Amino acid sequence: MASDASLPSSLADPRGKWMSLKNLGRQGFSRLGWWGLLAPAMALYALVFFMPLGVLVGESVHPSGAPQLSLANYAAFFTDGVTFSIFARTVRLAFFVTLTCLVFGYPLALFMRRAGPVLRLVALTIVVSPLLTSVIVRNVAWLLVLGREGMVNTLLRQAGLIDAPLPLLYNTFGVVVGVTHVYLAFLVLPVFSSLLAIDPSVEQAASSLGASRFTVFRKVTVPLSLPGVIAGSTLVFVLTMGVYLTPVIMGGSFVTTLPMVMTDLVRTQFDWSRAAAFAIVLLAFIAVVMVASSRAERRIERMRGEL
Amino acid sequence: MSENRIGIFVGTIAVTVMVFLILPQLILLVQSFTAEDYLSFPPKHFGLRWYAFIFGDETWQRALFTSLLIAVLVTPLAVILGTAAAIGLDRGPMRLRKAMRTALVSPMVLPHVVLGMAIYRVFLPLRFDDTLAGFLVAHLVLCVPYVIVTVGASLQAMDRSLEQAAMSLGASLPVALWRVVLPLVRPGVIAGAVFAFITSFDEFIVTYFLASRQTTAPIQIFSSLSYQLEPSIAAVSGLTLVVTAALCGLLILRGSMAGTAQVA
Repeated sequence: MASDASLPSSLADPRGKWMSLKNLGRQGFSRLGWWGLLAPAMALYALVFFMPLGVLVGESVHPSGAPQLSLANYAAFFTDGVTFSIFARTVRLAFFVTLTCLVFGYPLALFMRRAGPVLRLVALTIVVSPLLTSVIVRNVAWLLVLGREGMVNTLLRQAGLIDAPLPLLYNTFGVVVGVTHVYLAFLVLPVFSSLLAIDPSVEQAASSLGASRFTVFRKVTVPLSLPGVIAGSTLVFVLTMGVYLTPVIMGGSFVTTLPMVMTDLVRTQFDWSRAAAFAIVLLAFIAVVMVASSRAERRIERMRGEL
Repeated sequence: MSENRIGIFVGTIAVTVMVFLILPQLILLVQSFTAEDYLSFPPKHFGLRWYAFIFGDETWQRALFTSLLIAVLVTPLAVILGTAAAIGLDRGPMRLRKAMRTALVSPMVLPHVVLGMAIYRVFLPLRFDDTLAGFLVAHLVLCVPYVIVTVGASLQAMDRSLEQAAMSLGASLPVALWRVVLPLVRPGVIAGAVFAFITSFDEFIVTYFLASRQTTAPIQIFSSLSYQLEPSIAAVSGLTLVVTAALCGLLILRGSMAGTAQVA
Protein backbone atom coordinates (compact mmCIF):
# COMPACT_ATOMS: atom_id res chain seq x y z
CA MET A 1 0.00 0.00 0.00
CA ALA A 2 1.41 3.34 -0.96
CA SER A 3 1.50 5.50 2.13
CA ASP A 4 2.29 8.56 0.09
CA ALA A 5 -0.24 8.04 -2.63
CA SER A 6 0.44 11.34 -4.33
CA LEU A 7 3.69 9.98 -5.70
CA PRO A 8 3.77 8.12 -9.01
CA SER A 9 3.42 4.40 -8.44
CA SER A 10 7.02 3.72 -9.44
CA LEU A 11 8.12 5.44 -6.24
CA ALA A 12 6.04 3.16 -4.08
CA ASP A 13 8.35 0.38 -5.20
CA PRO A 14 10.11 -1.07 -2.13
CA ARG A 15 13.38 -0.75 -4.02
CA GLY A 16 12.58 2.95 -4.31
CA LYS A 17 16.11 4.04 -3.44
CA TRP A 18 17.20 2.88 -6.89
CA MET A 19 14.75 5.16 -8.64
CA SER A 20 15.81 7.39 -11.50
CA LEU A 21 17.29 10.81 -10.97
CA LYS A 22 14.23 12.47 -12.45
CA ASN A 23 11.95 10.79 -9.97
CA LEU A 24 14.29 11.67 -7.13
CA GLY A 25 13.99 15.33 -8.07
CA ARG A 26 10.27 15.00 -8.19
CA GLN A 27 10.03 13.40 -4.79
CA GLY A 28 12.34 16.02 -3.35
CA PHE A 29 10.10 18.72 -4.69
CA SER A 30 6.96 17.17 -3.29
CA ARG A 31 8.57 16.70 0.13
CA LEU A 32 9.51 20.34 0.12
CA GLY A 33 6.04 21.19 -1.13
CA TRP A 34 4.32 19.52 1.84
CA TRP A 35 6.62 21.25 4.28
CA GLY A 36 6.05 24.53 2.49
CA LEU A 37 2.31 24.07 2.90
CA LEU A 38 2.65 23.50 6.64
CA ALA A 39 5.26 26.18 7.27
CA PRO A 40 3.06 29.32 7.40
CA ALA A 41 0.68 27.82 9.96
CA MET A 42 3.60 26.45 11.96
CA ALA A 43 5.29 29.85 12.02
CA LEU A 44 2.08 31.49 13.23
CA TYR A 45 1.67 28.88 15.96
CA ALA A 46 5.29 29.20 17.03
CA LEU A 47 4.92 32.94 17.55
CA VAL A 48 1.38 33.26 18.89
CA PHE A 49 0.83 29.89 20.56
CA PHE A 50 3.90 27.96 21.64
CA MET A 51 6.14 30.90 22.46
CA PRO A 52 3.54 32.63 24.68
CA LEU A 53 2.86 29.36 26.49
CA GLY A 54 6.60 28.94 27.03
CA VAL A 55 6.82 32.46 28.42
CA LEU A 56 3.96 31.61 30.75
CA VAL A 57 5.84 28.56 32.07
CA GLY A 58 8.94 30.70 32.63
CA GLU A 59 6.88 33.33 34.40
CA SER A 60 5.30 30.77 36.73
CA VAL A 61 8.62 29.72 38.30
CA HIS A 62 9.87 33.27 38.91
CA PRO A 63 7.56 34.69 41.59
CA SER A 64 7.31 38.48 41.25
CA GLY A 65 10.15 38.65 38.78
CA ALA A 66 12.77 37.17 41.10
CA PRO A 67 15.78 35.79 39.18
CA GLN A 68 15.99 32.48 41.04
CA LEU A 69 13.71 29.57 40.35
CA SER A 70 10.98 28.90 42.86
CA LEU A 71 7.92 26.70 43.03
CA ALA A 72 6.27 29.00 45.58
CA ASN A 73 3.41 29.80 43.20
CA TYR A 74 2.69 26.14 42.68
CA ALA A 75 2.75 25.58 46.42
CA ALA A 76 0.32 28.48 46.79
CA PHE A 77 -2.17 26.70 44.56
CA PHE A 78 -2.55 23.97 47.18
CA THR A 79 -1.89 25.87 50.37
CA ASP A 80 -3.33 29.37 50.05
CA GLY A 81 -6.61 28.03 51.35
CA VAL A 82 -8.78 29.44 48.55
CA THR A 83 -7.45 28.37 45.17
CA PHE A 84 -7.58 24.64 45.71
CA SER A 85 -11.17 24.76 46.92
CA ILE A 86 -12.13 26.87 43.89
CA PHE A 87 -10.36 24.33 41.70
CA ALA A 88 -12.33 21.54 43.40
CA ARG A 89 -15.56 23.45 42.79
CA THR A 90 -14.62 23.92 39.14
CA VAL A 91 -14.08 20.17 38.86
CA ARG A 92 -17.50 19.63 40.46
CA LEU A 93 -19.12 22.06 38.02
CA ALA A 94 -17.44 20.30 35.09
CA PHE A 95 -18.70 16.99 36.44
CA PHE A 96 -22.30 18.26 36.74
CA VAL A 97 -22.20 19.71 33.25
CA THR A 98 -20.79 16.49 31.76
CA LEU A 99 -23.45 14.43 33.51
CA THR A 100 -26.23 16.74 32.32
CA CYS A 101 -24.91 16.63 28.76
CA LEU A 102 -24.80 12.84 28.90
CA VAL A 103 -28.32 12.45 30.30
CA PHE A 104 -29.85 14.76 27.69
CA GLY A 105 -27.41 14.29 24.84
CA TYR A 106 -27.39 10.50 24.60
CA PRO A 107 -31.13 10.16 23.89
CA LEU A 108 -30.83 12.93 21.31
CA ALA A 109 -28.00 11.06 19.59
CA LEU A 110 -30.13 7.85 19.65
CA PHE A 111 -33.01 9.77 18.13
CA MET A 112 -30.76 11.17 15.40
CA ARG A 113 -29.51 7.70 14.57
CA ARG A 114 -33.04 6.39 14.02
CA ALA A 115 -34.36 9.47 12.25
CA GLY A 116 -34.83 9.61 8.48
CA PRO A 117 -32.55 11.77 6.36
CA VAL A 118 -34.62 14.97 6.54
CA LEU A 119 -35.30 14.78 10.26
CA ARG A 120 -31.65 13.93 10.82
CA LEU A 121 -30.49 17.03 8.95
CA VAL A 122 -32.91 19.16 10.95
CA ALA A 123 -31.67 17.67 14.24
CA LEU A 124 -28.04 17.99 13.16
CA THR A 125 -28.62 21.64 12.29
CA ILE A 126 -30.24 22.32 15.64
CA VAL A 127 -27.40 20.56 17.47
CA VAL A 128 -24.66 22.35 15.56
CA SER A 129 -26.31 25.79 15.46
CA PRO A 130 -25.35 26.73 19.03
CA LEU A 131 -21.70 26.11 18.09
CA LEU A 132 -22.14 28.80 15.49
CA THR A 133 -23.81 31.26 17.86
CA SER A 134 -21.81 33.57 20.03
CA VAL A 135 -21.47 32.40 23.64
CA ILE A 136 -22.20 35.86 24.99
CA VAL A 137 -25.33 36.14 22.85
CA ARG A 138 -26.56 32.81 24.17
CA ASN A 139 -25.86 33.94 27.73
CA VAL A 140 -27.85 37.12 27.15
CA ALA A 141 -30.66 34.97 25.77
CA TRP A 142 -30.64 32.86 28.94
CA LEU A 143 -30.79 35.98 31.08
CA LEU A 144 -34.04 36.79 29.26
CA VAL A 145 -35.39 33.28 29.81
CA LEU A 146 -34.32 32.64 33.41
CA GLY A 147 -34.17 36.12 34.93
CA ARG A 148 -36.49 37.42 37.65
CA GLU A 149 -38.70 39.05 35.04
CA GLY A 150 -37.76 36.43 32.47
CA MET A 151 -39.94 34.14 30.43
CA VAL A 152 -40.04 31.17 32.80
CA ASN A 153 -40.85 33.18 35.92
CA THR A 154 -43.45 35.30 34.10
CA LEU A 155 -45.22 32.28 32.66
CA LEU A 156 -45.19 30.42 35.98
CA ARG A 157 -46.54 33.46 37.79
CA GLN A 158 -49.27 34.00 35.22
CA ALA A 159 -50.24 30.36 35.57
CA GLY A 160 -50.50 30.94 39.31
CA LEU A 161 -47.94 28.27 40.13
CA ILE A 162 -45.56 30.54 42.03
CA ASP A 163 -45.88 33.76 44.03
CA ALA A 164 -42.26 34.88 44.13
CA PRO A 165 -39.83 34.45 41.19
CA LEU A 166 -37.73 31.27 41.34
CA PRO A 167 -33.96 31.79 41.75
CA LEU A 168 -32.93 30.36 38.36
CA LEU A 169 -29.91 32.57 37.82
CA TYR A 170 -26.79 33.52 39.77
CA ASN A 171 -26.36 30.03 41.24
CA THR A 172 -24.90 26.69 40.19
CA PHE A 173 -28.16 25.73 38.46
CA GLY A 174 -28.01 28.75 36.16
CA VAL A 175 -24.37 28.12 35.30
CA VAL A 176 -24.96 24.41 34.59
CA VAL A 177 -27.86 25.30 32.28
CA GLY A 178 -25.78 27.91 30.46
CA VAL A 179 -22.65 25.78 30.06
CA THR A 180 -24.67 22.71 29.05
CA HIS A 181 -26.32 24.78 26.35
CA VAL A 182 -22.91 25.85 25.08
CA TYR A 183 -21.22 22.44 25.09
CA LEU A 184 -24.00 19.89 24.47
CA ALA A 185 -23.07 19.57 20.79
CA PHE A 186 -19.56 18.44 21.73
CA LEU A 187 -21.12 15.41 23.39
CA VAL A 188 -23.94 14.68 20.95
CA LEU A 189 -21.78 14.63 17.81
CA PRO A 190 -19.16 12.04 18.92
CA VAL A 191 -21.88 9.84 20.45
CA PHE A 192 -23.93 10.13 17.26
CA SER A 193 -20.99 9.14 15.08
CA SER A 194 -20.14 6.13 17.22
CA LEU A 195 -23.82 5.06 17.19
CA LEU A 196 -23.81 5.35 13.40
CA ALA A 197 -20.80 3.06 13.25
CA ILE A 198 -22.70 0.23 14.96
CA ASP A 199 -23.73 -2.47 12.54
CA PRO A 200 -27.53 -2.87 12.96
CA SER A 201 -27.23 -6.61 12.28
CA VAL A 202 -25.44 -7.03 15.62
CA GLU A 203 -28.48 -5.63 17.40
CA GLN A 204 -30.82 -7.67 15.21
CA ALA A 205 -28.86 -10.80 16.11
CA ALA A 206 -29.27 -10.05 19.81
CA SER A 207 -33.00 -9.48 19.51
CA SER A 208 -33.54 -12.54 17.31
CA LEU A 209 -31.87 -14.54 20.08
CA GLY A 210 -34.64 -13.34 22.38
CA ALA A 211 -33.24 -10.22 24.02
CA SER A 212 -35.82 -7.54 24.75
CA ARG A 213 -35.29 -4.15 23.19
CA PHE A 214 -34.09 -2.71 26.49
CA THR A 215 -31.64 -5.58 26.96
CA VAL A 216 -30.32 -5.04 23.44
CA PHE A 217 -29.86 -1.39 24.27
CA ARG A 218 -28.13 -2.09 27.57
CA LYS A 219 -25.93 -4.97 26.46
CA VAL A 220 -25.19 -4.14 22.84
CA THR A 221 -25.87 -0.51 21.89
CA VAL A 222 -24.46 1.19 24.98
CA PRO A 223 -21.20 -0.80 25.14
CA LEU A 224 -20.60 -0.31 21.41
CA SER A 225 -21.15 3.45 21.71
CA LEU A 226 -18.73 3.82 24.63
CA PRO A 227 -15.84 5.26 22.60
CA GLY A 228 -18.06 8.17 21.52
CA VAL A 229 -19.39 8.59 25.05
CA ILE A 230 -15.85 8.75 26.46
CA ALA A 231 -14.61 11.12 23.76
CA GLY A 232 -17.61 13.45 24.09
CA SER A 233 -17.66 13.46 27.89
CA THR A 234 -13.94 14.21 28.02
CA LEU A 235 -14.34 17.09 25.62
CA VAL A 236 -17.22 18.61 27.61
CA PHE A 237 -15.40 18.11 30.92
CA VAL A 238 -12.18 19.67 29.68
CA LEU A 239 -13.93 22.61 28.01
CA THR A 240 -15.94 23.32 31.16
CA MET A 241 -12.75 23.38 33.24
CA GLY A 242 -11.67 26.39 31.19
CA VAL A 243 -14.97 28.23 31.13
CA TYR A 244 -14.98 31.93 32.04
CA LEU A 245 -17.75 33.91 30.43
CA THR A 246 -20.84 31.87 31.32
CA PRO A 247 -20.14 31.64 35.08
CA VAL A 248 -19.43 35.37 35.15
CA ILE A 249 -22.67 36.29 33.40
CA MET A 250 -25.03 33.56 34.62
CA GLY A 251 -23.42 32.93 37.99
CA GLY A 252 -23.01 36.51 39.06
CA SER A 253 -20.46 36.60 41.83
CA PHE A 254 -21.89 33.44 43.38
CA VAL A 255 -20.10 30.86 41.28
CA THR A 256 -16.32 31.12 40.98
CA THR A 257 -14.21 29.04 38.63
CA LEU A 258 -10.45 28.72 38.39
CA PRO A 259 -10.29 30.68 35.09
CA MET A 260 -12.10 33.55 36.85
CA VAL A 261 -9.44 33.56 39.57
CA MET A 262 -6.67 33.62 36.96
CA THR A 263 -8.28 36.45 35.01
CA ASP A 264 -8.73 38.46 38.19
CA LEU A 265 -5.07 37.92 39.17
CA VAL A 266 -3.90 39.27 35.82
CA ARG A 267 -6.35 42.08 35.20
CA THR A 268 -6.79 43.58 38.64
CA GLN A 269 -3.85 42.38 40.76
CA PHE A 270 -1.20 42.17 38.02
CA ASP A 271 0.13 39.03 39.72
CA TRP A 272 1.32 37.43 36.51
CA SER A 273 3.48 34.73 37.95
CA ARG A 274 0.83 33.35 40.26
CA ALA A 275 -1.79 33.39 37.50
CA ALA A 276 0.72 31.66 35.22
CA ALA A 277 1.36 28.92 37.76
CA PHE A 278 -2.39 28.33 38.18
CA ALA A 279 -2.75 28.19 34.41
CA ILE A 280 -0.03 25.56 34.18
CA VAL A 281 -1.68 23.47 36.90
CA LEU A 282 -4.97 23.69 34.99
CA LEU A 283 -3.26 22.64 31.75
CA ALA A 284 -1.54 19.74 33.50
CA PHE A 285 -4.85 18.57 34.95
CA ILE A 286 -6.51 18.77 31.54
CA ALA A 287 -3.63 16.87 29.96
CA VAL A 288 -3.93 14.08 32.56
CA VAL A 289 -7.69 13.81 31.95
CA MET A 290 -7.21 13.63 28.19
CA VAL A 291 -4.46 11.04 28.35
CA ALA A 292 -6.50 8.89 30.75
CA SER A 293 -9.51 9.13 28.46
CA SER A 294 -7.64 8.19 25.31
CA ARG A 295 -6.10 5.23 27.20
CA ALA A 296 -9.59 4.11 28.20
CA GLU A 297 -10.78 4.46 24.63
CA ARG A 298 -7.89 2.41 23.29
CA ARG A 299 -8.47 -0.24 25.94
CA ILE A 300 -12.08 -0.60 24.84
CA GLU A 301 -11.01 -0.88 21.21
CA ARG A 302 -8.52 -3.60 22.15
CA MET A 303 -11.09 -5.57 24.14
CA ARG A 304 -13.35 -5.43 21.12
CA GLY A 305 -10.54 -6.73 18.96
CA GLU A 306 -10.17 -9.77 21.21
CA LEU A 307 -13.86 -10.65 21.07
CA MET B 1 -46.02 -2.35 23.26
CA SER B 2 -43.00 -1.57 25.43
CA GLU B 3 -40.97 -1.13 22.25
CA ASN B 4 -43.16 1.79 21.33
CA ARG B 5 -42.91 3.27 24.77
CA ILE B 6 -39.10 3.33 24.60
CA GLY B 7 -39.28 5.04 21.23
CA ILE B 8 -41.73 7.65 22.53
CA PHE B 9 -39.56 8.20 25.62
CA VAL B 10 -36.41 8.77 23.55
CA GLY B 11 -38.30 10.95 21.09
CA THR B 12 -39.76 13.09 23.88
CA ILE B 13 -36.36 13.73 25.44
CA ALA B 14 -34.84 14.44 22.03
CA VAL B 15 -37.52 16.99 21.12
CA THR B 16 -37.26 18.62 24.57
CA VAL B 17 -33.50 18.93 24.19
CA MET B 18 -33.83 20.42 20.73
CA VAL B 19 -36.32 22.98 22.07
CA PHE B 20 -33.87 23.71 24.90
CA LEU B 21 -31.15 24.32 22.30
CA ILE B 22 -33.05 26.81 20.13
CA LEU B 23 -35.66 28.39 22.40
CA PRO B 24 -33.39 30.95 24.13
CA GLN B 25 -32.19 32.33 20.80
CA LEU B 26 -35.77 32.63 19.56
CA ILE B 27 -36.85 34.43 22.75
CA LEU B 28 -33.92 36.78 22.36
CA LEU B 29 -34.83 37.51 18.78
CA VAL B 30 -38.47 38.25 19.68
CA GLN B 31 -37.50 40.46 22.61
CA SER B 32 -34.96 42.40 20.57
CA PHE B 33 -37.83 43.85 18.54
CA THR B 34 -39.42 45.42 21.58
CA ALA B 35 -40.46 49.06 21.25
CA GLU B 36 -40.60 49.59 25.00
CA ASP B 37 -38.06 51.24 27.31
CA TYR B 38 -37.34 48.05 29.21
CA LEU B 39 -37.12 44.38 28.36
CA SER B 40 -40.16 42.47 29.54
CA PHE B 41 -41.76 39.24 28.55
CA PRO B 42 -43.74 39.27 26.37
CA PRO B 43 -43.13 42.70 24.81
CA LYS B 44 -46.37 44.63 24.31
CA HIS B 45 -45.23 46.72 21.35
CA PHE B 46 -42.91 45.69 18.57
CA GLY B 47 -40.75 47.82 16.36
CA LEU B 48 -37.25 48.47 15.09
CA ARG B 49 -36.63 51.12 17.72
CA TRP B 50 -33.57 49.52 19.34
CA TYR B 51 -32.04 48.42 16.06
CA ALA B 52 -32.27 52.03 14.94
CA PHE B 53 -30.71 53.02 18.24
CA ILE B 54 -27.62 50.80 17.89
CA PHE B 55 -27.05 51.91 14.31
CA GLY B 56 -27.15 55.53 15.45
CA ASP B 57 -25.06 55.06 18.58
CA GLU B 58 -21.37 55.75 18.15
CA THR B 59 -20.13 53.25 20.74
CA TRP B 60 -22.07 50.34 19.26
CA GLN B 61 -21.21 51.42 15.73
CA ARG B 62 -17.52 51.38 16.50
CA ALA B 63 -17.65 48.05 18.32
CA LEU B 64 -19.61 46.36 15.54
CA PHE B 65 -17.38 47.85 12.86
CA THR B 66 -14.21 46.67 14.63
CA SER B 67 -15.59 43.14 15.02
CA LEU B 68 -16.67 43.01 11.40
CA LEU B 69 -13.36 44.39 10.13
CA ILE B 70 -11.30 41.87 12.08
CA ALA B 71 -13.50 38.96 11.04
CA VAL B 72 -13.39 40.00 7.37
CA LEU B 73 -9.58 40.21 7.48
CA VAL B 74 -9.04 37.06 9.53
CA THR B 75 -11.29 34.78 7.47
CA PRO B 76 -9.32 34.71 4.17
CA LEU B 77 -5.99 34.48 6.02
CA ALA B 78 -7.25 31.62 8.19
CA VAL B 79 -8.64 29.82 5.13
CA ILE B 80 -5.32 30.10 3.26
CA LEU B 81 -3.14 29.04 6.21
CA GLY B 82 -5.55 26.32 7.35
CA THR B 83 -6.20 24.82 3.91
CA ALA B 84 -2.48 24.71 3.11
CA ALA B 85 -1.73 23.13 6.47
CA ALA B 86 -4.53 20.56 6.10
CA ILE B 87 -3.22 19.46 2.70
CA GLY B 88 0.34 19.39 4.04
CA LEU B 89 -0.78 17.29 7.00
CA ASP B 90 -2.67 14.90 4.77
CA ARG B 91 0.32 14.19 2.53
CA GLY B 92 3.27 14.90 4.77
CA PRO B 93 5.56 12.32 6.32
CA MET B 94 3.62 9.62 8.14
CA ARG B 95 5.68 9.64 11.32
CA LEU B 96 5.19 13.28 12.19
CA ARG B 97 1.63 13.54 10.97
CA LYS B 98 -0.15 12.65 14.19
CA ALA B 99 1.98 14.85 16.43
CA MET B 100 1.68 17.79 14.08
CA ARG B 101 -2.06 17.42 13.77
CA THR B 102 -2.41 17.38 17.54
CA ALA B 103 -0.26 20.51 17.77
CA LEU B 104 -2.21 22.30 15.05
CA VAL B 105 -5.69 21.64 16.49
CA SER B 106 -4.68 22.14 20.14
CA PRO B 107 -5.88 25.79 20.33
CA MET B 108 -9.41 24.32 20.16
CA VAL B 109 -9.13 22.45 23.47
CA LEU B 110 -6.69 24.65 25.32
CA PRO B 111 -8.64 26.92 27.68
CA HIS B 112 -8.83 30.26 25.93
CA VAL B 113 -8.30 32.03 29.24
CA VAL B 114 -4.82 30.54 29.38
CA LEU B 115 -4.14 31.40 25.77
CA GLY B 116 -5.43 34.95 26.29
CA MET B 117 -3.16 35.45 29.29
CA ALA B 118 -0.15 34.06 27.45
CA ILE B 119 -0.67 36.15 24.32
CA TYR B 120 -1.29 39.26 26.42
CA ARG B 121 1.95 38.61 28.32
CA VAL B 122 3.92 38.51 25.06
CA PHE B 123 2.13 41.39 23.34
CA LEU B 124 2.25 43.79 26.30
CA PRO B 125 5.97 44.69 26.21
CA LEU B 126 5.77 44.97 22.41
CA ARG B 127 2.90 47.50 22.71
CA PHE B 128 0.98 45.14 20.46
CA ASP B 129 -1.83 44.43 22.94
CA ASP B 130 -4.47 47.09 22.29
CA THR B 131 -4.09 47.18 18.50
CA LEU B 132 -6.21 45.80 15.68
CA ALA B 133 -3.18 43.97 14.29
CA GLY B 134 -2.74 42.29 17.66
CA PHE B 135 -6.39 41.20 17.72
CA LEU B 136 -6.03 39.94 14.18
CA VAL B 137 -3.01 37.75 14.86
CA ALA B 138 -4.55 36.37 18.06
CA HIS B 139 -7.84 35.57 16.31
CA LEU B 140 -5.96 33.91 13.49
CA VAL B 141 -4.46 31.29 15.79
CA LEU B 142 -7.95 30.55 17.14
CA CYS B 143 -9.54 30.27 13.68
CA VAL B 144 -6.96 28.23 11.76
CA PRO B 145 -7.70 24.97 13.66
CA TYR B 146 -11.33 25.03 12.49
CA VAL B 147 -10.25 25.30 8.87
CA ILE B 148 -7.72 22.49 9.36
CA VAL B 149 -10.44 20.22 10.78
CA THR B 150 -13.12 20.93 8.16
CA VAL B 151 -10.75 20.79 5.19
CA GLY B 152 -9.08 17.71 6.70
CA ALA B 153 -12.48 15.99 6.80
CA SER B 154 -13.10 16.83 3.14
CA LEU B 155 -9.65 15.55 2.19
CA GLN B 156 -10.34 12.23 3.89
CA ALA B 157 -13.54 11.85 1.90
CA MET B 158 -11.77 12.77 -1.36
CA ASP B 159 -10.91 10.14 -3.91
CA ARG B 160 -7.13 10.31 -4.02
CA SER B 161 -6.94 8.58 -7.41
CA LEU B 162 -8.28 11.71 -9.14
CA GLU B 163 -5.23 13.63 -8.05
CA GLN B 164 -2.91 10.79 -9.04
CA ALA B 165 -4.60 10.68 -12.42
CA ALA B 166 -3.96 14.40 -12.91
CA MET B 167 -0.32 13.99 -11.98
CA SER B 168 0.22 10.93 -14.13
CA LEU B 169 -1.22 12.93 -17.03
CA GLY B 170 1.55 15.45 -16.48
CA ALA B 171 0.10 17.99 -14.07
CA SER B 172 2.69 19.38 -11.70
CA LEU B 173 1.98 19.28 -7.99
CA PRO B 174 0.80 22.90 -7.68
CA VAL B 175 -1.45 22.49 -10.73
CA ALA B 176 -2.90 19.25 -9.36
CA LEU B 177 -3.58 20.93 -6.01
CA TRP B 178 -5.16 24.01 -7.56
CA ARG B 179 -7.24 22.41 -10.29
CA VAL B 180 -8.15 19.05 -8.77
CA VAL B 181 -7.76 18.97 -4.98
CA LEU B 182 -9.09 22.43 -4.11
CA PRO B 183 -12.36 22.14 -6.07
CA LEU B 184 -12.97 18.74 -4.47
CA VAL B 185 -12.51 19.98 -0.90
CA ARG B 186 -14.56 23.12 -1.44
CA PRO B 187 -17.33 22.14 1.04
CA GLY B 188 -14.68 21.85 3.75
CA VAL B 189 -13.16 25.18 2.76
CA ILE B 190 -16.56 26.90 2.91
CA ALA B 191 -17.41 25.36 6.28
CA GLY B 192 -13.97 26.37 7.54
CA ALA B 193 -14.44 29.94 6.32
CA VAL B 194 -17.82 30.22 8.05
CA PHE B 195 -16.35 28.84 11.28
CA ALA B 196 -13.38 31.18 11.07
CA PHE B 197 -15.61 34.21 10.50
CA ILE B 198 -17.94 33.34 13.36
CA THR B 199 -15.11 32.42 15.73
CA SER B 200 -13.44 35.75 15.14
CA PHE B 201 -16.66 37.78 15.21
CA ASP B 202 -17.73 36.20 18.52
CA GLU B 203 -14.33 35.90 20.18
CA PHE B 204 -14.42 37.21 23.72
CA ILE B 205 -11.82 36.14 26.24
CA VAL B 206 -8.56 36.54 24.32
CA THR B 207 -9.66 39.95 23.03
CA TYR B 208 -10.80 40.83 26.56
CA PHE B 209 -7.24 40.39 27.81
CA LEU B 210 -5.75 42.36 24.93
CA ALA B 211 -8.24 45.22 24.78
CA SER B 212 -8.11 48.32 26.90
CA ARG B 213 -9.39 51.19 24.74
CA GLN B 214 -10.42 49.25 21.63
CA THR B 215 -13.69 47.38 21.82
CA THR B 216 -15.36 44.67 19.81
CA ALA B 217 -19.06 43.81 19.84
CA PRO B 218 -18.79 40.95 22.40
CA ILE B 219 -16.67 43.10 24.72
CA GLN B 220 -19.08 46.00 24.43
CA ILE B 221 -21.99 43.65 25.22
CA PHE B 222 -20.09 42.33 28.23
CA SER B 223 -19.27 45.75 29.64
CA SER B 224 -22.83 47.00 29.06
CA LEU B 225 -24.18 43.98 30.92
CA SER B 226 -22.54 45.14 34.13
CA TYR B 227 -24.97 48.09 34.26
CA GLN B 228 -28.29 46.69 33.20
CA LEU B 229 -29.75 44.31 30.67
CA GLU B 230 -31.01 46.92 28.23
CA PRO B 231 -32.97 46.47 25.01
CA SER B 232 -29.95 47.77 23.07
CA ILE B 233 -27.97 44.71 24.20
CA ALA B 234 -30.78 42.45 23.00
CA ALA B 235 -30.77 44.27 19.65
CA VAL B 236 -27.01 43.88 19.15
CA SER B 237 -27.26 40.23 20.17
CA GLY B 238 -30.20 39.78 17.81
CA LEU B 239 -28.19 41.31 14.99
CA THR B 240 -25.27 38.96 15.68
CA LEU B 241 -27.71 36.07 15.74
CA VAL B 242 -29.21 36.98 12.38
CA VAL B 243 -25.77 37.27 10.77
CA THR B 244 -24.64 33.88 12.08
CA ALA B 245 -27.97 32.24 11.23
CA ALA B 246 -27.61 33.50 7.67
CA LEU B 247 -24.14 31.96 7.49
CA CYS B 248 -25.51 28.68 8.90
CA GLY B 249 -28.18 28.73 6.21
CA LEU B 250 -25.46 29.12 3.63
CA LEU B 251 -23.70 26.04 5.05
CA ILE B 252 -26.85 23.92 4.82
CA LEU B 253 -27.58 25.11 1.29
CA ARG B 254 -24.04 24.29 0.20
CA GLY B 255 -24.31 20.87 1.82
CA SER B 256 -21.41 21.53 4.13
CA MET B 257 -23.23 20.69 7.34
CA ALA B 258 -21.66 17.23 7.54
CA GLY B 259 -18.21 18.79 7.38
CA THR B 260 -19.29 21.17 10.10
CA ALA B 261 -20.20 18.29 12.38
CA GLN B 262 -16.59 17.09 12.10
CA VAL B 263 -15.44 20.05 14.12
CA ALA B 264 -16.69 18.57 17.36
